[in-house]
Amino acid sequence: MDGADLGDSVLKATIANTLDVLAWEIELAGARSHYLDSIIGRMINLIPEDRRAEFVESMHTVDLLSQQLTSLSAFTRRMSGDVPDVSAYVHAALGHITLGALADRMSAALGGEELGIDHGEGAGDLDLF
Amino acid sequence: MTDGHGQRVLVVDNDRTVLELLKIRLEVAGYHAYVTRTGADALDSLRNVRPAAMILDTNVDGDGFALLHAIRHRYADAHFPILMTGRDLKVDDVRHAQADGAQLCMVKPFSGAEAVERIGRLLQLAHDRPAAATPHAGPTVAHI
Repeated sequence: MDGADLGDSVLKATIANTLDVLAWEIELAGARSHYLDSIIGRMINLIPEDRRAEFVESMHTVDLLSQQLTSLSAFTRRMSGDVPDVSAYVHAALGHITLGALADRMSAALGGEELGIDHGEGAGDLDLF
Repeated sequence: MTDGHGQRVLVVDNDRTVLELLKIRLEVAGYHAYVTRTGADALDSLRNVRPAAMILDTNVDGDGFALLHAIRHRYADAHFPILMTGRDLKVDDVRHAQADGAQLCMVKPFSGAEAVERIGRLLQLAHDRPAAATPHAGPTVAHI
């Protein structure tokens, strides 16, 4: 489904709010990565010693990802406080998010819930989970 | 970083993203987090389980302060510390939260790691100085 078909004039949000919502989502991705990191950390001990090195490398990668996401979240959050008071239509962009739950959460946080808009239903083409 | 010792933390926030990220962060830190989006669900949870600490947003049901007041009134014997969160918290809001029994306020947006760290500090304080976690204990740790 093309997001533009949903009607671009329906959902409008300030850039500050949009960045803020984005910052929370990146923060959540960082938290999930942190969780994955902790799982790998626990699993390392269950792996035979001769194969442990390759998993330690994976753990470093996930740790780096976690830090990267946390830093990007901090940057986006900081930017949300510094942008001028302007608004933009976000409806079409939300329509391009292929993960329904994410689109629905962002839509709700951007004011879609008050307008009775559910992006989770129409967003993207595929939910694998 | 698993020093939560399985202590229960109740998180009440109407924002699903915030709820999920705090749940993950708290559980990775060793806490047992349970989350709700409404005041009714929070009160329902408190009927069954008493948390070691609570994170409550000012925007829950449009008035988190009312929920804070209801919790402290209904469970006057429960001295678990409450961390109040919210956007654009003003000094008056902090005073209001404090008067109704919150120990600490934190302005949104914040990082999940920051929130977990503050919960840890609140629990440590409640452990070291139980009176500090008592509602109306005075202007101890609340800040913006």
